[in-house]
Amino acid sequence: MITVEGLSYHLPRDRCAVFRDLSFRVPDGAVFAILGPNGRGKTTLLKTVLGLLRPSAGRVRIDGATGYVPQGTHLPFPYSVLDIVVMGRARGIAAFRSPGKADYAAARRALDRLGFLGFADRPVTELSGGERQMVLIARAIASEAPILVLDEPTSALDFRNQDRVLGAIARIAREDRLTVLFTTHYPQHALHVADTALAMHGPADARAGPVADILSEAELTDLYGLPIRVARLDHAGRPVRTVAPVFGAAEPAGLPLVAP
Amino acid sequence: MSEPLRRRALTAVAASAAIALAGAAGLAPTPAQADPVTIADQNGATVTLDGPAERIATIPIPAASMVVAIDGGTDRLAGMHPLSKTALTEAILGEFFPASVDIPSDVVGQGFMPNVEALLALDPDLVLQWAHRGDDILAPLRNAGFTVAALRYGTEELTRGWIEMLGTATGNADKAAELIAWREQAQAEITGLMADLSAADRPRTVYFLRYLSELRVAGEGTYNDFYIDLAGGTNPAAADGSGWLTVNPEQVLAWDPEVILLNGFEDDLSPADVYANPLFADVTAIRDRRVYKVPLGGYRWDPPNQESPLMWRWLAMLLQPELADWPLRTQIVEAYGWIYGQTPTEAQIDGILRLAMNGDAAYYDRFAGDAGR
Amino acid sequence: MSLAGTLGRSAAGRREPAWRAPALWGGIAAFPLVVGLMSLGIGRYPVPIDQVLLALAAGSGFAVDVPGTVERVVLLIRLPRILEGLVIGGGLALAGAALQGVFRNPLVGPQIIGVSSGAAFGGALALLLGLGLAGLMAGAFVFGITALVIVFALSRVDGRSPVLMLVLAGVVTGAFFAALVSLVTFLADPNDTLPAIVYWLMGSFATASWPKVGLVAGVTAVAATVLMAMRFRINILSLGDEDAQALGIAVEPTRWAILVAATALVAGSVAVAGIIGWVGLVVPHIARMLVGPDHRRLLPAAALLGAGYMVLVDNVARTATASEIPLGVLTAIIGAPMFAWLLRRTQAGGWT
Repeated sequence: MITVEGLSYHLPRDRCAVFRDLSFRVPDGAVFAILGPNGRGKTTLLKTVLGLLRPSAGRVRIDGATGYVPQGTHLPFPYSVLDIVVMGRARGIAAFRSPGKADYAAARRALDRLGFLGFADRPVTELSGGERQMVLIARAIASEAPILVLDEPTSALDFRNQDRVLGAIARIAREDRLTVLFTTHYPQHALHVADTALAMHGPADARAGPVADILSEAELTDLYGLPIRVARLDHAGRPVRTVAPVFGAAEPAGLPLVAP
Repeated sequence: MSEPLRRRALTAVAASAAIALAGAAGLAPTPAQADPVTIADQNGATVTLDGPAERIATIPIPAASMVVAIDGGTDRLAGMHPLSKTALTEAILGEFFPASVDIPSDVVGQGFMPNVEALLALDPDLVLQWAHRGDDILAPLRNAGFTVAALRYGTEELTRGWIEMLGTATGNADKAAELIAWREQAQAEITGLMADLSAADRPRTVYFLRYLSELRVAGEGTYNDFYIDLAGGTNPAAADGSGWLTVNPEQVLAWDPEVILLNGFEDDLSPADVYANPLFADVTAIRDRRVYKVPLGGYRWDPPNQESPLMWRWLAMLLQPELADWPLRTQIVEAYGWIYGQTPTEAQIDGILRLAMNGDAAYYDRFAGDAGR
Repeated sequence: MSLAGTLGRSAAGRREPAWRAPALWGGIAAFPLVVGLMSLGIGRYPVPIDQVLLALAAGSGFAVDVPGTVERVVLLIRLPRILEGLVIGGGLALAGAALQGVFRNPLVGPQIIGVSSGAAFGGALALLLGLGLAGLMAGAFVFGITALVIVFALSRVDGRSPVLMLVLAGVVTGAFFAALVSLVTFLADPNDTLPAIVYWLMGSFATASWPKVGLVAGVTAVAATVLMAMRFRINILSLGDEDAQALGIAVEPTRWAILVAATALVAGSVAVAGIIGWVGLVVPHIARMLVGPDHRRLLPAAALLGAGYMVLVDNVARTATASEIPLGVLTAIIGAPMFAWLLRRTQAGGWT
């Protein structure tokens, strides 16, 4: 369970808040999506929840450890995939110790569950973006933390890789009864895997609730400032929900991008 | 007293008289009538003075005591290098000439760069500067309109050049000639004594310019190499390089010196340090107790200086005790008499010869005063 | 490339032959040992190898007949010097590898981040004030740490130390302390203190002695133990502060422990042997080429290779000519081109 109460964050030396007085709750076992336009503070919110950033007000309560999948990591050294994944076990390894057999077993298990065990000895610097994302997810899984936090796990991936990553997250969350918190730019990803969502409409206007309500056509149109349609299609007898922005139909140009 | 020695004593007396006369002439206040003086400096430049230099500023460190020697006093020394000043005031010349404490020493900064404004305040009529350390330290002096004589250093020939030049510049040409004659006579005498020495009879002698921070020895072409050879020794380091050589202890063991000379620059260094060094316990010089700290007279005796003949004799008596024998203490008194017009006390001579440090070394009893014999 | 495609390819995996790792590690471990023993037989004073062995036996307490001079050459001159080289070379390479990991940058060395200059100033100051070996050690350590703190403070942007800021902060700090070193030499007495400082700054093992070996070995043992124990933490720190913190690591205390240990290694070596550059930069690269980037393997490999490398270079310094070649000069002359070559060779490996 994650409880966020009255959370605010100001950039250092900045009077304007990135977000203000934010409250929401992520129940155990929930898959929780955070949406919002660029610059609204999705990643900042995530880092504040994780404790990587210090909020200017409010508090966060997390029951249990978190496994974090950052939005792409710069890796200066060509570590092997297994070396990276085993680092997910760091929390349980004392400062003067190195990972032992059990840690490696957990790392291999995590890779195996993602179908990535064959990559174990590959240098991460030689992997593609999608592959790296899977490695970082495996690292978070290897930590065996009950809460998984992902920052835009599908950004910069093609459709096929988006599907694989989302599928993996959903499956692991279900199998391990994990609580998942993730940010995304794609409402259809939230609709696909999440049960609850938070939409950050403005610095002090964040709406949380079931995905269907939060990501309705009207809400999304308000969120992104662009007409957005949610369509229901049929694929081989299976209903498919998709989100389609109507490009070119935004508010007339010339208006300031940010309300005064 | 042997024949040559008697002759030396006579010349010394004559020289003293000459100094007295020259000094009296120098006191006569007739600068307007003085004839211009022309000297050739060691950069090949011709330097012209309106008359004998009355106020000399010296930047090369050994030059100050050289001026004192040639002039028989500190009157013409207007300013000097801070290290010249410590060399003067902390040694015997400071005792001879207590007024030297008041001579300014702020005329030079790091790397012999002249402090032109401090020099202008002194108003010297001649500035001495190094010739071989680049024009950067000479140009500011020329630009400020000083009369500059440039000096080189390191060999006996150049040292005699200094003496001659300074003698001419200060109107002490006779004194200078006397100092040079003294050097020539001593060199010839010692060379004659050592003429029949075979290479095997020359003890391997190593001079340490540094011992405490590193082992730095005199190689080929150094002045130390010159006088080791002159005084009947041989310098094994000369075969391994020229100039100053930093070596490791093993190299010293490989040379196995029979005599070790310790520099006078490292104040804390004494032969006891070498005797106590376990690395060198088997070195012949240590076993034979032939480690000597080089004396400190009107200037350190290590580099070329106005008292070099005394250094050569001192060294010859230690390297070839069978061949070389002079009453060195008496000779010091004589030389100081005609060079500085002073008579050192027995205690001062003990200090010059560093009897406290060297006293129990081999052959050093011959330098002991009457009380010590 | 799609995941499906790479999955197929990865089955082929790049497995190394089973014999390779033990052979490689055997070679790396033997390197300093062989170099050290071999070096006992080299020197300006000619000692036949059997006499070297006899002297060693005599030193170990066996009653063997060996000339006193030979015994002194081997036991009092060569042995401490070689041990000092082994300890310092290993320590510098270890410190370099750790710093490169913590700063997430393979171009970092004790010299580049200003630690060496700081330590040099501390040591020069101690020499100026005549504080002796312990003072030299303390001065080098305190100002090495000071330089590190300054670099760290200057290079922080939003809680991180970007590479460019790090290098710039290192240049600024290094230049500042270099100026202070010049100031010290300006103030030093040219007759005795100045030559001592200048000689010490150039770096040399020529004055090696058992007390010095004991001092540097003691410091190195403690600091190296800390670094070796924390080598997995270095891996984690090399992912970056945020990642490391998210993985559950207390980043700041961990980093400081490593930086202090690395500085102790550098300061210890500077105190007894002056400034010896490039070893901490070049050797970790060679080690990385051999055993890979994982600091759990890299640190011991760098230490062993550094130890042997240092003694090899010092052999040249002490035996090539009758006069000693300054060690700092040699390490730079060998290290700079070697580093350039390594840069070009390993750049493709991807640690940009």
